[in-house]
Amino acid sequence: MNLQFSRRGLLGLGAGAGGAVLLSACGDSGPNEKVTGGGQNAAPAPTAYTGPNVALAFWNGFTGGDGPFMKKLVDQFNTEHPNIKVSMNTYQWADYYQKVPAAVATGNGPDLGIMHVDNVATNAARGVILPLEDLAKALNFKAEDFSPPVWNAGVYNNTRYAIPLDVHPLGFFYNKTVMEKAGLDPSKPPATDEEYKAALEQMKAKGIQGDWVTPFEFTGSMQFQSLLWQFGGNLFDEQATKALYAEQPGVQALTWMTDHVKNGWSPKNVAQDADLVAFRNGKNAFNWNGIWTINTLKEDKNLQWGVAPLPQIGTQKAAWAGSHQFVQFKQKAKDENKLAAGKVFINWISQHSIEWAKGGQVPARAEIRDSAEFKALPEQAAIGSQIDDLHFLPPKPGIADAMATVVTAINEAVLGRKEPAKALSDGAAKANQLLEQNAKKYGS
Amino acid sequence: MRRVRPIAWYTVLIGLSLVFIAPLVWMLLTAFKTPGEATRVPPTVFPQEPTTSAFDTLMGNDQTPVLRWFLNSVLAATGQALLVLAIASMAAYALARLEFRFKRLIFGMIIATLFIPSFVLIIPNFLIVDRFGMLDTLWALIIPGAAGAFGVFFLRQFFLGLPRELEEAAVLEGANSWQIFTRVVLPLSKPALATLAVISFLTNWNDFIWPIYVLFSPDQFTLPPGLAILQGAYTINYPVIMAGALIASIPVLLLFVVAQRYVIEGVSRSGLKG
Amino acid sequence: MAADLAVKEQARTEPRAGGRIRRTGTLTPYLFVLPYFVVFATFVLAPAVYGLWISLHDWDYLLPGKPFVGLDNYKALFDSSSAVFSFFWESMSATGIFTVLSVPLLLTVPLAIALMLNRRFPGRTFFRAVYFAPYVLGVAVIGVLWRFLLDPNLGVVNAILPGAAPWTTALPWAWVTLVGVTVWWTLGFNAVIYLAGLQDIPRELYEAARIDGGGKWAEFRHVTLPGLRPVLLFVTVNTILVSANMFGQSYLITQGAPGTETRTAIMYIAQVGLADYKMGSAAAMSYLLTVGLLLISAIVFRLFREKDAS
Repeated sequence: MNLQFSRRGLLGLGAGAGGAVLLSACGDSGPNEKVTGGGQNAAPAPTAYTGPNVALAFWNGFTGGDGPFMKKLVDQFNTEHPNIKVSMNTYQWADYYQKVPAAVATGNGPDLGIMHVDNVATNAARGVILPLEDLAKALNFKAEDFSPPVWNAGVYNNTRYAIPLDVHPLGFFYNKTVMEKAGLDPSKPPATDEEYKAALEQMKAKGIQGDWVTPFEFTGSMQFQSLLWQFGGNLFDEQATKALYAEQPGVQALTWMTDHVKNGWSPKNVAQDADLVAFRNGKNAFNWNGIWTINTLKEDKNLQWGVAPLPQIGTQKAAWAGSHQFVQFKQKAKDENKLAAGKVFINWISQHSIEWAKGGQVPARAEIRDSAEFKALPEQAAIGSQIDDLHFLPPKPGIADAMATVVTAINEAVLGRKEPAKALSDGAAKANQLLEQNAKKYGS
Repeated sequence: MRRVRPIAWYTVLIGLSLVFIAPLVWMLLTAFKTPGEATRVPPTVFPQEPTTSAFDTLMGNDQTPVLRWFLNSVLAATGQALLVLAIASMAAYALARLEFRFKRLIFGMIIATLFIPSFVLIIPNFLIVDRFGMLDTLWALIIPGAAGAFGVFFLRQFFLGLPRELEEAAVLEGANSWQIFTRVVLPLSKPALATLAVISFLTNWNDFIWPIYVLFSPDQFTLPPGLAILQGAYTINYPVIMAGALIASIPVLLLFVVAQRYVIEGVSRSGLKG
Repeated sequence: MAADLAVKEQARTEPRAGGRIRRTGTLTPYLFVLPYFVVFATFVLAPAVYGLWISLHDWDYLLPGKPFVGLDNYKALFDSSSAVFSFFWESMSATGIFTVLSVPLLLTVPLAIALMLNRRFPGRTFFRAVYFAPYVLGVAVIGVLWRFLLDPNLGVVNAILPGAAPWTTALPWAWVTLVGVTVWWTLGFNAVIYLAGLQDIPRELYEAARIDGGGKWAEFRHVTLPGLRPVLLFVTVNTILVSANMFGQSYLITQGAPGTETRTAIMYIAQVGLADYKMGSAAAMSYLLTVGLLLISAIVFRLFREKDAS
């Protein structure tokens, strides 16, 4: 039994029996002044804004097909709220995460933004974002209104800093044409390890390398994480003091990936994105990829494809997922009106997130996920069915630094530079040093 | 010049040209393909169903004012090139020809900074640019970059190579340093100034790390950070990526074709060798 | 020769002291330097000094506490048990490998091309533009372009060439790619500088060499190379600096793969400073790299000086 699972078990239990009360009680004890740095955000969280006209800057990284969906929501919000004008700026995510802290530090930061769940703790600790505890309380949000792992991932040092907008899990994409060519039934994608390997063997017999394993972060390390959790392992301990990914489950997971190359199910030396490109070209049959791929594949009218939950390779179901979460940024001068209006915006978008789901996401809010409208989006709904099997990183500042060691280890192993066990243990040793550094830096 | 055998000569030249041009032609052709065709194996050379949809994707979005970015890029790169020419030529002249205390120290400092990786300057400079209220303005792209040591270094070297006789003659006619600088040295230095202008322009045009930090509003963006947004959205849509690259490259390619005569041939026509 | 680049050359008395331009007011030189110096001091000198200060701290610009750590950030780079030691030196060795492989090529290939283009023949301007063309493209463009062309399994290059090579994912191929792309990309710049240098060599010298009847090689050795000496020093030092600062090509084409083998020093420093927010450590690495580059450049200067003396 590993720590993360026991924690999730506990929270799952708690959610059914007043655990949310317990959680918000924790919040009542107030944010840790030393580390929040962002100061208090004690404005009452209204559901309607009646103050003077305000203009809010809303920054995010929705550069893809999802951008227009968010823009449409923002426009609709502006029409319905004549006294709030939200203007949206979009940057590449990588740029956004470097730009936003710098902008906030100089008092040029936006009012509202989106962050991936892995970045919430880091930005909370660095004083970039403000607590949203009061909003959660005023709207009476509970963990089960979302999904406990997603909901809890926005809490840093017992204080909530983020409200989930969506989750974007990994899904199993399959090219129906290629499956048919190999004599496989395209209506029955493999769901177990046995079925999976049988399918790969059958394709190999027909000269098709059916599952290109990518050594890069997108989406090789996401596939690794999913497998690791499926084999009962974990990346880090709950306090993020120690890397656990080099233990047996990790070795099993990574070996499963490198065996693809060894057994000729995947070509060697798959470059960045080549797995997906090959999938689109009819050279690759299977691809573990993010839900955002739905839109990419829909661009090809002739492509016959489907998507399913990840097959269960290990001993339990699990899938990697990211989550976009709403945050409010620290300002040089606090403006209660803007803070209040921002909260109205967050709540409104969250309520209307079915429109967002159409852009290729799974809404974080349970009522919307369970709605008939969401179920009518077959691809999103298929991937969304994994909602209870999702895992997130421990909400610790600087955790992304340690994740980089996982990415390197996978790259080394899949490209055949190192044996899986060696690659992972080298990476874990580095990760432990980085975790120790971070603990010191952020005073965890 | 010795006689060359034209056929062998041009075979070599054209063969080499292919190495340089073929990738760029491939970029051009890819921009007019469909995403599927762009990555087909084996590849097609010419677009089977030529389409401008990649350009439509880039241009047809009110969130991404490509023309505005283009204009900003031109303004920033031109502004910086002019500023560099003005301040670097003056400083280089003093360092090459005038005597003053601290001259060695100042030149030494300027040269030493050539060796510092620019990354270490980004965060401090961000804070400084903010102090001057230049964040999210084109000034942030024009002024800090003009402080680079290259221009001074390059022009000083060029000035040192100029024959002194003309300057000495001007002294005898009673010209002061400023008059010598503007009437003798600068006219003699046109090729070097042209070269420096082109290099400054290119460096500024292609810079994308600094603009990403200091520009916030889409209206203030230059092409590289702007196109980065678009390309980030279409990671495996190669026609869109290549179309974006084309839009960013063609103006500078044209600039070079026009300017190269001045840059290179100017050197030999400048009367340097008396 | 007045056209010497060497820093120390500056201090020597000019050979023709009698012709020295004296008519300068005491303030005049400073007024000439002032506009540039103000910009330089503000945006290069101040941040550079600030960077040194940062390197003595555990520094994150957003955290209220920026503990002073003295030389710890530097010591960690030499302490094999520290978190940064092996990453840093791996990245330094990647930069070293890249520099050693690319600099000789970037010195010789552009020279060959400049010699070709220095002849008079119809279409010269056209070919000059062609060879220079890639240089005007930004690294963002050429990086994405070559990753697309060199994809080991799907790229055009492997579709054309008889033997497929893992250009971007395995050694030594990844180095071949990075060096090759860099030479392709930046060769035009050095070639143009060489060309300008070549056109500065007086034709009479060639004619004299021809009369001596030394042949082409002798002409090259005794006229061309010495005539290029000033630009050669500039091209050498500049190429070393640019190669040592290589970042974009690795970042875009190989992503540092395999593992972190092609992650260059700058790429790692940017990661530590801008993504991990450990500016103190990143600044220390930058300055260590700076010192290394200063040393190497000093050696290059010395080599050229000795050649000059002999």
